[in-house]
Amino acid sequence: MSATMLLLEVSIILSFVFVILFFMYYKYLTVKTGMDNASDESDYYDSSSYFREKRKSNGAISTSAFVLTDSKSIGLRYLMTSLVFFFIAGTFGVIMRVSLIEPTPTLFAHREVLYDILTTEHSILMIYMWAVGSAFGLAYYLLPTFLKIKNDKYGNISSWAYWIYVLGGIFILLSRTSTRWYYYPPLALQLNPYGAGSMNWLAVIGMEMIFIGIAIASITVIRMIIFDRSQEVPMTKMPLFAWGVLFTLIMFLASAPFMMAALVMLFYDFFNPIFFTGVGGSSPISFAELFWVWGHPIVYIAILPQFGLIYEIIPKFTGKKIFSYSSGVLALGLLMPLSELVWGHHLLNSGLGLAWGLFFTTASFAVTIPSAITVFNYIATLWSAEKIRLTVPMLFVINGIFDFIIGGITGVMQSTLVINEEVHGTYWITGHFHFIFMGITTGIAFAAIYMIWPSLTSGRKYDQRLANWHLSLTAIGSFIMSIGWTVGGFLGMPRYVSGYFARFQVYQDIAIAGGVIIGIGQLFFLANLIKSLLEEPSTSPSNVLEEVYKLPSPGAVGGD
Amino acid sequence: MNSKAKIEALWIIGVLVVLVVAAGINIYTTESPNFTIATKETPSSPIPGNTTVVYVEGVQWSWLFTTYNSTGKHTTTDGVTLTVNHTYTFVITSIKGSHQFAVIHDLYIPQFDVQAYAVPGQNNTITFTPIHTGTFIIECVEYCGYLHYEMRGYLTVVA
Repeated sequence: MSATMLLLEVSIILSFVFVILFFMYYKYLTVKTGMDNASDESDYYDSSSYFREKRKSNGAISTSAFVLTDSKSIGLRYLMTSLVFFFIAGTFGVIMRVSLIEPTPTLFAHREVLYDILTTEHSILMIYMWAVGSAFGLAYYLLPTFLKIKNDKYGNISSWAYWIYVLGGIFILLSRTSTRWYYYPPLALQLNPYGAGSMNWLAVIGMEMIFIGIAIASITVIRMIIFDRSQEVPMTKMPLFAWGVLFTLIMFLASAPFMMAALVMLFYDFFNPIFFTGVGGSSPISFAELFWVWGHPIVYIAILPQFGLIYEIIPKFTGKKIFSYSSGVLALGLLMPLSELVWGHHLLNSGLGLAWGLFFTTASFAVTIPSAITVFNYIATLWSAEKIRLTVPMLFVINGIFDFIIGGITGVMQSTLVINEEVHGTYWITGHFHFIFMGITTGIAFAAIYMIWPSLTSGRKYDQRLANWHLSLTAIGSFIMSIGWTVGGFLGMPRYVSGYFARFQVYQDIAIAGGVIIGIGQLFFLANLIKSLLEEPSTSPSNVLEEVYKLPSPGAVGGD
Repeated sequence: MNSKAKIEALWIIGVLVVLVVAAGINIYTTESPNFTIATKETPSSPIPGNTTVVYVEGVQWSWLFTTYNSTGKHTTTDGVTLTVNHTYTFVITSIKGSHQFAVIHDLYIPQFDVQAYAVPGQNNTITFTPIHTGTFIIECVEYCGYLHYEMRGYLTVVA
């Protein structure tokens, strides 16, 4: 085919695309104007909330969430996409785990490449699309109720932020990058399947888009919490979930610029490698440092909102207020500055030396204070309760606290310089953060989803039996998987490898068993969702997490 | 002070005690003669005492161990033989293979508790003394591409 013909075909196709896009925009504008007029006539500031109330959908799962721009609909979008990405990344996780069944990769042709792509996609999508996505979803969904927000007018901006963020996630998925979630150059510059993946540049663009999306959304949510909050909810009586989200997003805005700048520099390096190559005085370690200034706070971004949610969930099943509101706020707040001080503990063996090592390890120990206060607060609340209703969400919370204690203790251990040298880069680390990510991030997100289930499905109940299976398999599977990794890692089993010494076979097998159990467990969640959507509505579409939101006690010393 | 505040004070003090003890252990162990950590430096010459310098180079995807003695330069791939109770200084860096740039590796000897990044354009130095004979594994624990997992081998300590 000649070049002229190709050009002709491309321009014809493009003009069709533009005609279709224009038609869609025209239709959208017509509908939007109609909606605006109708809501104006009924004295509504925001057409989305008017239509949501008129349709009585009350924040249920439906495609209209992608058109409406009120906070609940935005929250639903985040929740839906985060669940989709959770299942995609989870499938990747199970496949890559099973692919490690034998020490030397012979099972598939080029298993190394497959494994590298799967493990990178699994980590990036799980952190940015599931952990952050579900946290944003729950924040947008729950905060308007918790804070009695009437002035919900930044929906358009949130909507833009959402689309940029989701497109970024899709780019990451399409890029088939294999550079690991920390993008260390100069490997990230090797654009071939044996280095960082042929389309790693797309992953860098996608990552930058995710950052831009989260940054815009962060600002709107912070605005929502600080300025749009109803006067009835003073700052000192704000629900702990709102505090958790607020601290998380401030932490995000304080640390993300480092990574955003580093990504731009990395992208420039694709064309003109000057910043991170190790040639001519530049150091690849400087990228690693910029990354971890952001990379450590992100792991707290994945747990802080969930810590706040636990404070909201426990009182619903114990009938008691949180043991100490003020120390809860204090602990969540302390995690914010401390998380910015400990990034060096990811690079202790990179040549930082003893003085820096001692600074970062000591700062890492200090993170124990807020974490332990939080856990003690949960335990004290549970301890002082007369009776605890062991429903599925409550069991998720208890399992989360249990997992967090293990993950936390392994975390304190590995921030000792000597032990860090032994376990850095091994499966110990993987075990440590999977305890926390499976227990807190995933477990609490599911606990909250189960609690708002009647609202999500406009008045349907979830199947207790299936939910129990989901809970048990997730809890047991993640424990088996993480414990296999933790023990194997302590003996020197390296992480992020597609092949391993045969002596580590048994630990890999344990982890494979655990991973498969988790995978089966999530199918029960899917079955539950489908089953309840097929049923007729049988209950009120209100949910226990949002209904009659009671304010927590104003101070710690307030007695009962 | 009511019981609630007491319990809170108690757990804050308890956590602080744990923190101080852990930090103390952390600092104390670094004083031990067996403790070693990678530092960003090239060893000064002359090398003190009976220390042998081993130049370690990470390349995609193998480890090169180079020693110099009276008979000249000796290079081994993915393995090195050391003498027990003799002090070694590893000078670790990364060199480029077939690609335009060298990448970051991480030398890890689990049974010796020795770990140091191999960074392009930077020498990391780590000094240690093997005290047991036998064969030990060495690995690369920083992802460096396709055959990252094959960047491993055995380190032999002889009497």
